[in-house]
Amino acid sequence: MVDKLWFLIPEMWLFVGVVVISVMGLCKARGLRNAVPLVVIGFLAVAFIITPLLYTDDRLAKVADGLLIPMLGRYVKMVVCAVGIVLTMLSIGLIDRPLEQAVASGRARFDPIRVSRGEYFVFFLLSLIGVMLVCNANDLIWLFLALELTSLPTYVMVAISRPSRKAQEAAVKYFFLGAMSASIFLYGLALLYGSTGTIVLTEMRDAFAEQAATGGLNRLALVGMVLALLGVSYKIVAVPMHFYAADVYEGAASAVTAFLAFVPKTAGMLAIILLLMTVGWSGHLGPGVEGLPQPILITLWMMAVLTMTLGNVGAMLQRSAKRLLAYSSIAHSGYMLIGVIAGPTLGINAVLLYLLAYGVMNTAAFAVLGALERKGEEIESLDDLAGLRHRHPALAIVMAITALSLVGFPPLLGFLGKLYLFMAGVEAGHVALVVIALINSAISAWYYLLLLGLPMLAMPTPTSETIVSRPVIWPRVAALATAIGVVGLPLVAGRLLSASEAVIQTDEVSPMVDQFDVSMADQPTEDQRAP
Amino acid sequence: MAAADIFSALAGNLMLASQDSAPIPIAETAAGMGWAGWILWLPAISTVMCGLCAAMRVKTKLPAWITVGLLGTSFLMTLALWLRYDQPVVIHLLDWFVLGGDGWAFIANFSLYVDSLTLLWMLFVTGLGTLIALYASEYMEADVRGGYARFFAGISVFLFAMTALVMADNLLMLYLGWEGVGFASYWLIGYYYRKPSAVAAAKKAFIVNRIGDLGLALAVFLIWHNFGTVEYRALFEALQSGSYNTEAGGWSIKAIPYLLMLAAFGKSAQIPLYVWLPDAMEGPTPVSALIHAATMVTAGVFLVARMYPVFLLEPASLTVVAWIGGLTALLAATIAMAQHDIKRIFAYSTISQLGYMFMGIGLFTTAGAAYHVFTHAFFKAVLFLTAGVVMHGFAGQVDLRKVSGLRHLPGFRITSFTMLYACACLAGVPLITNGFWSKDAIMAQAFISTGPGFRALGVIAIITAFLTAYYAFRVWFRVCAGPVHFEPGEEQHDDHHAAEHGEFRPHAPRLVVNFVLIVITIGAVGSIFLKGWAGERIEDSTAAYHTPHALGVGFWGDPHVWMPWVASAVGLLGIVVAGYFHLVNRKAADGLKNAMLANPATRWLPTAMENKWYVDELYHLMFRGPLWLGGHILNLFDRYIIDMAIVDGVARIPRLLGRGFQPLSNGILQSYAVSMAGGVALLAILVFLMPQLVDWLSHWMGGAG
Repeated sequence: MVDKLWFLIPEMWLFVGVVVISVMGLCKARGLRNAVPLVVIGFLAVAFIITPLLYTDDRLAKVADGLLIPMLGRYVKMVVCAVGIVLTMLSIGLIDRPLEQAVASGRARFDPIRVSRGEYFVFFLLSLIGVMLVCNANDLIWLFLALELTSLPTYVMVAISRPSRKAQEAAVKYFFLGAMSASIFLYGLALLYGSTGTIVLTEMRDAFAEQAATGGLNRLALVGMVLALLGVSYKIVAVPMHFYAADVYEGAASAVTAFLAFVPKTAGMLAIILLLMTVGWSGHLGPGVEGLPQPILITLWMMAVLTMTLGNVGAMLQRSAKRLLAYSSIAHSGYMLIGVIAGPTLGINAVLLYLLAYGVMNTAAFAVLGALERKGEEIESLDDLAGLRHRHPALAIVMAITALSLVGFPPLLGFLGKLYLFMAGVEAGHVALVVIALINSAISAWYYLLLLGLPMLAMPTPTSETIVSRPVIWPRVAALATAIGVVGLPLVAGRLLSASEAVIQTDEVSPMVDQFDVSMADQPTEDQRAP
Repeated sequence: MAAADIFSALAGNLMLASQDSAPIPIAETAAGMGWAGWILWLPAISTVMCGLCAAMRVKTKLPAWITVGLLGTSFLMTLALWLRYDQPVVIHLLDWFVLGGDGWAFIANFSLYVDSLTLLWMLFVTGLGTLIALYASEYMEADVRGGYARFFAGISVFLFAMTALVMADNLLMLYLGWEGVGFASYWLIGYYYRKPSAVAAAKKAFIVNRIGDLGLALAVFLIWHNFGTVEYRALFEALQSGSYNTEAGGWSIKAIPYLLMLAAFGKSAQIPLYVWLPDAMEGPTPVSALIHAATMVTAGVFLVARMYPVFLLEPASLTVVAWIGGLTALLAATIAMAQHDIKRIFAYSTISQLGYMFMGIGLFTTAGAAYHVFTHAFFKAVLFLTAGVVMHGFAGQVDLRKVSGLRHLPGFRITSFTMLYACACLAGVPLITNGFWSKDAIMAQAFISTGPGFRALGVIAIITAFLTAYYAFRVWFRVCAGPVHFEPGEEQHDDHHAAEHGEFRPHAPRLVVNFVLIVITIGAVGSIFLKGWAGERIEDSTAAYHTPHALGVGFWGDPHVWMPWVASAVGLLGIVVAGYFHLVNRKAADGLKNAMLANPATRWLPTAMENKWYVDELYHLMFRGPLWLGGHILNLFDRYIIDMAIVDGVARIPRLLGRGFQPLSNGILQSYAVSMAGGVALLAILVFLMPQLVDWLSHWMGGAG
């Protein structure tokens, strides 16, 4: 038990942060209240630094049997902390703005009942803790609770992010539909328990292996797994659970939208990977058959194709930048499912890399939107971006780079991510799926190039002339930092890949090199080519 | 020499090349030398800081001092690296591309390959880069309120790219630098972007270079295909041990040197791709001096020297290099004789001297070629910088007929004498000039190495040397000597020395410019003594060809004995001829030209020379016309068939599809919930209740499932 707790030190540390800022947010001194986000950044930075120190070989050896993917935590926690820091910057100056202005100008007195900045960041951190806990899940209950810990705070964050009715409406929709998806997920888990008699993931894996050895997986288990996958597809905004995305993303403030598109999606993806690890990609249908069990494969395959297609097609019809990015978020989940289908190690590594890539690109796009406003209201329409270059050249360039990266333009981060995802898909033999994804990538250029062309090429319109940047500098810092990430992270691609590769190194699955080996076997080697 | 003799000599040459080539030195991995990476990073930092200066609209000379400081540090570190150098090393900086599996690996890292060839190039690249940036700090000061930061950002980008090109340990990073210097060159030629001729010149440079870049890209692909690596060390090891399959490669190995050659000829302005360099003089003069004379244009020579072991696989390719170089040298020299624009004369002279370098490489004296690169970098930089002084001083005047007697003007004395020395170097005045020694090494080799028509090449080189001496001193006698006389140009970039009251006062260079001129001239003098040193640098590197002297029997005794006399004689003769026509009796030159124009039999010669042998017009006719026609046909095809019929048609499908789903996203919570539940139900029914459909689907999906 103590050994398991060892890996929860980052979460516990962040929980200390939760306690500290919940008090700080209520302080009468304005300086202390304003310092809340900086304290959050500090706690996240420390968690980022201590995480790699905790994952030592001897510690891992003690818990190796208890966790499906022992090393998952190190990569995911570091990514979550790093992106979390940028997301925090984006949220600075967002909450309580009218109230704080009134207090600063003396028009109102400070009233701890009416402030919610502290709460916002408390929920922010709690949600991040949720994602981190997902990595450590070793049974179904833990998995479910961690997922809900990720999601529940986000409902509140959506509601309090903007003083507008739209945000409230979005929060209500988000909450009810979230509850429905959670029930479907839970139903699936119940069936899984029913078929295996255990909730511990490693024991489930052994039970499935036993079932597979004696004539294929239990029908109940398959139904449970499919329902669980469909339920969790809410978190990753995949078809058929994607309907809420556009409305909720539009209703929430840009900072929260960026959060929604990264944090719950990461948690959901990790949950899917953990659940599928119990079944395995090494064929439980019978001897000699590789890959996921057929019903699960078909479910994921359909989900992937529908998700990316609906996401891209939907995005083409939007005139609101936030709705556009919401549909783009759906499409990117579809791409990630390719990696999930392809399986370890190439596919899972690609997904983990893509989670980081998408997190950075997506945050960059929302950071630009979040850094701009008109009369204290965030901009939403694409037309507001027209001619941005003339007034805010740096933000326009960030938007342009981000758009190119989202299309998958080499050598940017998005290209790298897609390259590894599609490569994994082809290696696993899902050529049709990759072809569909490539067609979708081409379609996506249609609307991403709007994000490039409007700020850089179009002339400013009378409405877009009235756009100003938010008074605080932090959203712009976040935009710049993420843009540097989009351009710079591919330069350290080697380091990133080895970091995500180190995650999956279990006995059952072959390391990356062997995957290449299979493909190389068909081709003549250097010697054979000689006459 | 009969054709049969030539071929037997070539065959002997081939055998010698494959048997006697000495072992290629293989680099070791250096530990604890990461600091050398700063040679590469400092120019990059300088770029970023200059960019920030531009963004913050700095109106001082700060960008220049940043650039000079960082580049100077980079030079000092290169110097330190050279002082500590004892054997070829690879210094790993960071991972870039690492892909691979069992049996293959594609590795291209940010690593530095440091051998003496690299160091030789880096020393003059960073050294001259620093000095010319210093010169530009004063030269460009009229632009302090304009593009000053943009200019120095461009210089820094260039230095970064050039460093990456020279120090790369793999062909991919070299390619990055190769494209980078092309981009920097485009950026800086088009610096005066409001001037249509500058924009056109920038485009021309870029497009012509792209043709060469295509060759480099294809060569890199073929090297990867044949040797399974793009890293120099692995490539040289494979060449050394012969652990690649020559038969399997066949043409694909033999094509590599020719493709590399195309790249080198593009970047180093040789036939047929030289046409961009004269136009590149539209850029500010420090750019011409640094990029289009001293450093970037020698990248092609560097590429051939670096890939020398690959060229030795196909020695006939080196003969092509030699001949192209020789012909370019002659052609460019004849054009230079008939131009009036000083910068253009120097540009053609650069092309001509680069021709000498390629000739040297092709004649198996890489050492001579590299030494010529080294000496040329100094004297050509001085020539351009003094031309810049003239331009700057006389409001953009570059016509050598309109400025005269510069050395009698106050403040222009240093300019005149540094230019005199540089012209002497170019002309090859015996003993006291570095150009004499380096050119001699190449010309003598033409009579030592055996190869098809190498003797004829030697004669061409001697004729070119005469022409070179003539046009070099034509410039000096016209501009610096003779009676004082000048007409200002039309450029008025600064109010206080513009002809406001009808009187024009030349704008003499100040301290910084004079300092830089003197330092580089001293460098040129110093490089006289470095022939042996430069030779050793090459002998120690992969560019070495260890058996040049054994290749043939000397022609008429030892060419190294008589060539200095011949070279001195033609050089001095050229100077005397130039002195007669352009100093003693200036009317005679015009008289001669008019006489030739009057005579129908000789009219073509001066006309064609002045019009650059109509090569631009020829290219225009050969390529631009057909391309224009093809472009328009394709444009119509694109507009009506692709755009209207295919793209718009296909694009309508997703939009229609989207419209179909639009009613589902109506913003009503209940409908969302129903849709979601319905989706789950549909998928579940599909998966569990329709086994035939599932089988068909999974068959169609492919994959391992």
